[in-house]
Amino acid sequence: MTPTLPEILRGNFIALATPATPEMAGDFMGARIGVIGMLNFLAAQEAERGTSAAILENRAIAALLASATGYDITVPAASDDLLPTALDSQNAALRRALIALHTAAEDRRDTALDTRILALYIIMAEGRKLVLPSSPPPQ
Amino acid sequence: MSLESQAAVYLERLWGEPVAIENLSRIPGGASRETYRFDARVGGRLRTLILRRDPSGSLIDTDRRTEFMAYRTAHGRLPVPEAIALEPQGAELERPFFLMERIDGGVVASPFAPQPFGDHAKAIGEAFFRSLGELAAIDPVGTPLGDLLPSPAPEDCWRIALDHWAKVIDTDEAHPQPIVRAAIRRLRRSPPPPAQAVRIVHGDYRSGNLMHDGAGKILAILDWEMAHLGDPIEDLGWAFDPIWNHGEPSAVCGMIPQARAIAIWEAASGLRVDPAAMRWWALFNAVKGQAIWTSAAREYRDTGCTDPILGISGWYTARRHDEIIAAMLQRFGDPA
Repeated sequence: MTPTLPEILRGNFIALATPATPEMAGDFMGARIGVIGMLNFLAAQEAERGTSAAILENRAIAALLASATGYDITVPAASDDLLPTALDSQNAALRRALIALHTAAEDRRDTALDTRILALYIIMAEGRKLVLPSSPPPQ
Repeated sequence: MSLESQAAVYLERLWGEPVAIENLSRIPGGASRETYRFDARVGGRLRTLILRRDPSGSLIDTDRRTEFMAYRTAHGRLPVPEAIALEPQGAELERPFFLMERIDGGVVASPFAPQPFGDHAKAIGEAFFRSLGELAAIDPVGTPLGDLLPSPAPEDCWRIALDHWAKVIDTDEAHPQPIVRAAIRRLRRSPPPPAQAVRIVHGDYRSGNLMHDGAGKILAILDWEMAHLGDPIEDLGWAFDPIWNHGEPSAVCGMIPQARAIAIWEAASGLRVDPAAMRWWALFNAVKGQAIWTSAAREYRDTGCTDPILGISGWYTARRHDEIIAAMLQRFGDPA
């Protein structure tokens, strides 16, 4: 997924470590730091459950692809590598296959499979959900 | 040379007399342009100004001439600041920019703030959708923006808009996005009715692009950088997107119920909202949002992940729009 958690956290460090120009002082810098804080808040959520969400999504897509026996779709090979980069790579392959399957189901007007895929989209989106803090950053 | 000095040199050339720049500072908001406020003393008079300058990286690739002409068109008709000067080549400021008058004393809501309008949500909501209806009532022929931009045929508005944003996703996507891809296919298979009239579309009409006085009055409608000619229902679809509702599902833009917003818009525009068109443009706008966030993610990575606005746009809002699109697809209808 993009951007990744390491990209967010490294970027936040660089953003804070880079000296501001004089005209950035005041409201602009206050808002900027507020958004960096929000990114860190969301990063904590991603660190807590991002890996499990990726694993569950990959399993769910693979299961749906495997069940669509009437379609010429290749299910990407499973991997035991649990590094986030490996999970992302696996996820990309699975998502590409899912797009191909959904397009084929639509072309055949296979409403039963379409309904199952739409339900999977709800699960995928819910699994990746990030929740904002209740207090907004300063403007 | 500092930006302050550059601005002074430019304005002296523009106005033909000495100019002193004071209180120059960058202000938040507007991820696609750098925005600065400053005062210019010229001939014993103080002019309060806003500078919108192209950044090296941006959230949305837009033509600053379009934004400038949109301000020129809307000024005097809607609460919009006056556009003063446009320099597509950057002149003394090195990067393309334009200047407009500054409206002081207002508040701009964060898209993430709960209940940003407090007790004034109803008054602001009614004025907000009345202004949008008044924009939709303007015949663009002969306006500065109408003279600049091509006018699509009513039956082509949807296709032009969808092709544009689908191409953005094709170009900028780094990771496959099955949810938005499904939405694009569904939109193509079920086009909306032709536009009742081709009108000026603001393109980013939402709660965070208005300035209010904190007491129920709208002072300015801002950020016209995505303005174009098209189906005016498009703006309603964007304003109604749940991503802008500030956590209040029953209030569009955290202001008023959707049915009330539509009634006000219809009365002000003289047009009507076809439910089939509304359904299509609602899903389209969620796709458009996802396209913008896809570009933000790319820009964020390409510029070293140091702009947190691009980061939050490419990450949180992208995932939020996946949720929104997945829910909309459940209701949109069969793939045929």
